[in-house]
Amino acid sequence: MIRRLVAKPEFGPLVLLIAELVVFWSINHDFLSPLNISNTLAFTVELGLIALAMTLLMTSGEFDLSVGSLFGFAPVLMWTLFNSGVTSLPTAFVIGLIVAGLIGLVNGVLVTHLKIPSFLVTLGMLLVVRGTALFVTSGFPQRTWIAGDHWLAQLLVGDFYVGPFRIYMSLFWFIVVVIILGYVLTETKFGNWIQASGGNANAARARGVNVERTKVALFVLSAMMAAFAGIISSIRTSAANPNSGTGYELEVIAMVVIGGTALTGGRGTIIGTVMGIFILRVMRNGIVLIGVPGLAYNIFIGAIILGMMALHSALERRHQSGT
Amino acid sequence: MADELIRMENISKSYGRVRALEQVNLTVHQKEIVGLLGDNGAGKSTLIKVLSGAVPATSGDIYIRGRKVNIRSTTDAIANKIETIYQDSALVTQLSIARNLFLGREPIKGPRFLNRLDHHKMNQVADELLKRVGISKNIPSSTPIGSLSGGERQAVAIARAMHFDSDLIILDEPTNNLGVAETQGVLRFVRNARDSGHSCIFIAHNIHHVFQVVDRIVVMRRGRVVADDIDPKKSSVKEVEQVITGMSDEEVRAAVS
Repeated sequence: MIRRLVAKPEFGPLVLLIAELVVFWSINHDFLSPLNISNTLAFTVELGLIALAMTLLMTSGEFDLSVGSLFGFAPVLMWTLFNSGVTSLPTAFVIGLIVAGLIGLVNGVLVTHLKIPSFLVTLGMLLVVRGTALFVTSGFPQRTWIAGDHWLAQLLVGDFYVGPFRIYMSLFWFIVVVIILGYVLTETKFGNWIQASGGNANAARARGVNVERTKVALFVLSAMMAAFAGIISSIRTSAANPNSGTGYELEVIAMVVIGGTALTGGRGTIIGTVMGIFILRVMRNGIVLIGVPGLAYNIFIGAIILGMMALHSALERRHQSGT
Repeated sequence: MADELIRMENISKSYGRVRALEQVNLTVHQKEIVGLLGDNGAGKSTLIKVLSGAVPATSGDIYIRGRKVNIRSTTDAIANKIETIYQDSALVTQLSIARNLFLGREPIKGPRFLNRLDHHKMNQVADELLKRVGISKNIPSSTPIGSLSGGERQAVAIARAMHFDSDLIILDEPTNNLGVAETQGVLRFVRNARDSGHSCIFIAHNIHHVFQVVDRIVVMRRGRVVADDIDPKKSSVKEVEQVITGMSDEEVRAAVS
């Protein structure tokens, strides 16, 4: 029983997350204060939404470096359309998601049909999308505070209090996406195809699995989720900055990998990713609270990634040898 | 002899100027294990690729139970109940036995839009199949393929072919890199498949393995079938080796000295 628990890919991240919580709380009790928890949760779930979709994509053996730029581009597009009076806010929201989906579609088609590695395709797309966002806005943020009490803004990021905790609606969306994508990956036929596409694409094809279509669908999902997260973030922070999301792609990939999803594909876990998301965000928050210079953050993140990779590798070897 | 299952007629395959297959005829009967032998470059793999839909023939026809069929892809082959098990077993090592067995044809339960896997049915059928194919160890169907030995992986691949009622199972070097006990296990799985009503084409470099399991031996040399009715009970390994190489004892000795 214990051996089976230890062999699970989520076990390592769980231990690390608990250790982080204990260490930070024991050094600074404010770490678990309602205010700090509320603040940490607000942004964590926005980045987390991207990581959840990325988990499925990485399980299928691909990854997407353009998510950070889409996080910045989609809200810029949405608010530019709305502010210039071209469309209503809900229509602009839908257009933002659809355009992101089309960008994901282009990524997917280039990767699967032209056989270009996803690293190169999505790196190119990152530059195209980021460049477009900067060009359209001349580098200036778009006004978003006019969203105010609009029902869409309330639906996406409205806040309310649960006891002393300030909770944003984005936490609700995050939980919904965790449940849906967790179900898709482990309980559905499509989830089986995702894992097979990443584990052995030729074997999957030989069994009649449409590997290409599966991957394209996941590129679209990844892009749309990045756009959704960016729009939520823009409303919460009252700013649609064309530069926002810079560097998020690597942080998101780190979250997914730390959670136990294989970078090479074939094995993925949504629960692990949820832990990976919190490990990195708690670390960022905790080291500031205990007085470590914020600039040292990357040292800790790098060490965590290396440590978790070593742990996953050791567990994998033990698993393969049947011990 | 039982009824004819597969007939390949005048199959030729060229890669540019290279003629890999030249007017090859091959017949497999129902509940028959045919051993396909030949030296490297004899054309065995190409012939199997044509039959399994991996490459199209340049010319020639394939008949199943007397009906002409068009096999242009692996999907066509599977639709015609021809299953090919390659050396790497075409399995996904990260997935469980049950998930591999049903890959591409997963049973669904509940409303269709939920796309929900019927885990109970998958595990139940997988457990039954593992017993039927002859795996003696009690391996849970939730075990990832990566944890299985080479022989057990072959057993899972054979079980999959048996479950989906493949008429013909093509085994390409199934005993490669296996130990003695594992090899005997795989040969037993192949015999069990035949006894359950499936036909097999068995390709192996080790002639001794072929002799232990097949009903008839077909030998290819330089893209042609040079013998198609060798009875392993009435022939010796040495005689078959001579057919494969096309050399007499003296010629073989002269070649190696």
